[in-house]
Amino acid sequence: MTREPLRFEGREVPVLEGDTVASALFRAGVRTFSRSLKTHRRRGLYCGTGECPNCTVTVDGVPGVRSCVTPATGGMRVRRDRGWPSAEHDLLHAADFLHPLMPVGFMTKTFIRPRFAWPVAERLIRRTTGSGPLPIDAPITRTVSRHVRCDAVVVGAGTAGLSAALEAATGGERVTLCDLFPIGSRVPPGPTLDAIRELEPIVRANPTIEILEDHAALGLFEGPTVPLAGPAELVEVHPQHVVVAIGATELHPLFPGNDLPGVWLGRAASAMAALHGVHPGRRVVVVASTVEGMEHLHALVAAGTSVIAAIVPAAFVDEVPRQTEAIVDGELIEAHGRGRVRSVLVREQGERRRIACDALVLSMGLAPRDELARMAVDEPVEVVGDAALEAHEPRLGGGYLCLCEDVAVDDLEQAWAEGFRSAEILKRYTTATMGPCRGAMCARALACFARDRADVADVRAGARITSRPPVRPVALETLAASVHEVIEKRTGLHDVHVAAGATLEWSGGWKRPLTYGDRREEYLAVRERVGLMDVGTLGRFLIAGRDAMRLADAVFPGRIDDLAPSRSRYVLALDEAGYAADDGLLCALEDGSYLITSTSGRAERMDARLREWADRLDLHVHLLDRTSELGAILVAGPRARDLLQGLTDEPIEPATLSYPGHRENVVAGIPCRAIRNGFVGELAFELHHPRSRGPELWDALLRAGKAFDVSAFGLDALEVLRLEKGHVYLGQDTLPDDTPDKLGLAWAVDMTKPWFVGKPALERLARLPRTRRLAGLEFDHAPADAAELRGVPLTVGDSIVGRVTSSASSPVLDRAIGLGWIRSGDEGFPTELRAGSTVGRVVPTPFYDPRGARVRG
Amino acid sequence: MAELRTSSPPVTSVLASTDACERVAGLPGACRVGPTEVAIVGDVSTAAVLQAVRRLDPDGVVLDVSDGWVAHTLEGPGAREALSRLSELELPVSGFVQGEVARIGVRMLVDGDRIDLLVPSMHADHLRERIRTDCAELLR
Repeated sequence: MTREPLRFEGREVPVLEGDTVASALFRAGVRTFSRSLKTHRRRGLYCGTGECPNCTVTVDGVPGVRSCVTPATGGMRVRRDRGWPSAEHDLLHAADFLHPLMPVGFMTKTFIRPRFAWPVAERLIRRTTGSGPLPIDAPITRTVSRHVRCDAVVVGAGTAGLSAALEAATGGERVTLCDLFPIGSRVPPGPTLDAIRELEPIVRANPTIEILEDHAALGLFEGPTVPLAGPAELVEVHPQHVVVAIGATELHPLFPGNDLPGVWLGRAASAMAALHGVHPGRRVVVVASTVEGMEHLHALVAAGTSVIAAIVPAAFVDEVPRQTEAIVDGELIEAHGRGRVRSVLVREQGERRRIACDALVLSMGLAPRDELARMAVDEPVEVVGDAALEAHEPRLGGGYLCLCEDVAVDDLEQAWAEGFRSAEILKRYTTATMGPCRGAMCARALACFARDRADVADVRAGARITSRPPVRPVALETLAASVHEVIEKRTGLHDVHVAAGATLEWSGGWKRPLTYGDRREEYLAVRERVGLMDVGTLGRFLIAGRDAMRLADAVFPGRIDDLAPSRSRYVLALDEAGYAADDGLLCALEDGSYLITSTSGRAERMDARLREWADRLDLHVHLLDRTSELGAILVAGPRARDLLQGLTDEPIEPATLSYPGHRENVVAGIPCRAIRNGFVGELAFELHHPRSRGPELWDALLRAGKAFDVSAFGLDALEVLRLEKGHVYLGQDTLPDDTPDKLGLAWAVDMTKPWFVGKPALERLARLPRTRRLAGLEFDHAPADAAELRGVPLTVGDSIVGRVTSSASSPVLDRAIGLGWIRSGDEGFPTELRAGSTVGRVVPTPFYDPRGARVRG
Repeated sequence: MAELRTSSPPVTSVLASTDACERVAGLPGACRVGPTEVAIVGDVSTAAVLQAVRRLDPDGVVLDVSDGWVAHTLEGPGAREALSRLSELELPVSGFVQGEVARIGVRMLVDGDRIDLLVPSMHADHLRERIRTDCAELLR
């Protein structure tokens, strides 16, 4: 069967059944799969199990793909990203010859002086190192996250994992079984695969075992919780106990030349020969010191690979095939060759001997993958199978210890000499173990290196480095699976605004209308006629119970006890440091409870504040968040009363609903609480109503309002309206450490009260001089839209004395106004200043209707 | 496959002392959402509940808060799996549970493969959208 080839750097590479990207490329003659991170040494296929970084290529624009475990499909576009002009002929390989001149820490030691050198050097280094450019133009796909609860999670579906899963399921447990790959797919034919194939159908047939193939366990967290990264999903498993059965990697032996292309670990070589039918070399030398190593030797020979010599322990000598020379108890000294292995040097019975070869296959021990188990502190974790074996000690003969980060044993020697004398410190200084394999290949060797050299008493020096998640490389996109966009809150009138063509913008978690088309017209409607605004975003909280007044009195710094039913009052809320945290309108209800309306974006914090103080003061109160339940429409403008009067039978007169007050009132047949409000500086009523009836009420107001040329208005008009009144937007006009005094809101604080939240702090702060305050500003020759001045620093002469926090061109005043911070200097607070090229001066607020006659209406 | 339906059931909030809450917690549809708060989902006589509560807590509050909540009902074999994508809450076989779903505080009534998610009205559209996008292939 002919299959579509894959594209490799401009040429076609045939793909056979069962091929991985690596096997297809290797069959086509590719020997250099990547260039090393720093010195651009050639790297060829090595581990074959997706651990080491050697075979990483860029597939379809995604860098860092491990070609040895990625199934090849026709049409794939594969390239090697490191190397200039190409990975095959890489001039940057010169770095390898300069390696002795570039010791560990070379970059940061060398380019710090002169100072201008670093930015230049950094750009150069960035271009010559790394794993290839990220696909920044790739479409964003959203990974789904889900949670699985079960009794046992078994990580790893080899023989040990399959057996453990079956055992748990037989004991009545719900089991989640996961593996990096489809079960058995990366195991070459042999006794291990036979055992897996025997267990697999039994496991698959068991309904209490959920099997997640192609899912990588990223870590082990308290709970325990095990996150699994799968294709397009992140699964968070919450089991009762964890079984770690992730096996072992083959030991990464350290000797000069250990990173040359042509040096293979046994699993990679036998898989290449037995699974993919490609010989790792024409003259192969095998070093096998384990049972598994002998299996690989036999697999190679059975596949027809020419194994010319095998270095084996005396115990295995009888098992060496006839056509292969057995070198008993030989010692591998080094691999030699430029660009790839040409020969190996071995010591045989004291004699050194060079053997010409083109592949060296190593199976010299196992390094159990125990990093998951080591992450668990006091969690129910059991380690089974090869993962539970005792590790073979690596021999530190030389060569490259960390393949990912290009750290040689020599580099570690130098770092040690410089005084970095423990595994953890060596790691930080040399970056060994910090690459994509997360130390799977080299962390043990690093610990051995430190232990061998450290003072015997210093046990910590040789301790293994801390195991941290993620233990497998994972895309940030996958980790972001459970983090989502801002939660959008909507009022009951959302659809009405959309239908009216409003421009919506985020504001405090809500999508709110900025304008319905004509900002100026909306503004003028409020100042001259009547306007409607959706203020259902305000936080609304009911404070009931016999201690309601005591809670309000404690949380708000103003006087509360004299607030009569049907009256309302502006209240500030301070934190314990005395800083303004929130504000709102407190309405005393007829039955002794209160309704507090608070700033839209801070409702959750108001809720938390009320509950916290009710608890801390042990008050008998009942709190109910009514934000979601109540809609609210602000009817504002000189004709607001006339508009409402047409929709209600109850007389809306100053005598019955005066400022600041409120009452229950049926409007257009809908039960409302009408609250007089002064925020925009005109006669205004907030109609708080059942959310579901919002559209009906809005519609009735619009229809009845036609007679008064009513207009809906949005946040843009509101910004100018409130600014003309000098009203402060908490957050926009304030800084985190604003006392009421600095904001000109001292009148909202009654220091004669025995106690309120923030009072002790205010008493202390009162002894300090006031060096900063919020001030009203007026500008001459401002930009056509004075809103542009917002954020501009305020200056006197050459010094910055403050900043504009809000600004607008006021149509009714016909000048540019603003609020801003000013700092006092030697001559007190400035009065004349500049905002950029605009001349400004400090003026009292409110700018508009300073006596408030229009609000009282 | 699960079905997703949206409705607006009657919801009554009871805010009262612990013993008064205890008294109404046994009513059909009653969910104990806190030591001093019970939510009753379904038709109930506010006046009768108030009377029962006031006997033990004269300050007790009983309010019809139906407008504050919307119910998204997931029903069918995929319902539990759909929820597992949005929340780490452990679902009982049946009963009441509250916590975060898609980072929104919700109250849930679970009965086998039927989950009634009560979500604050202001978050209802957002949660519905999240269920639809994250659980698309599980929904009918």
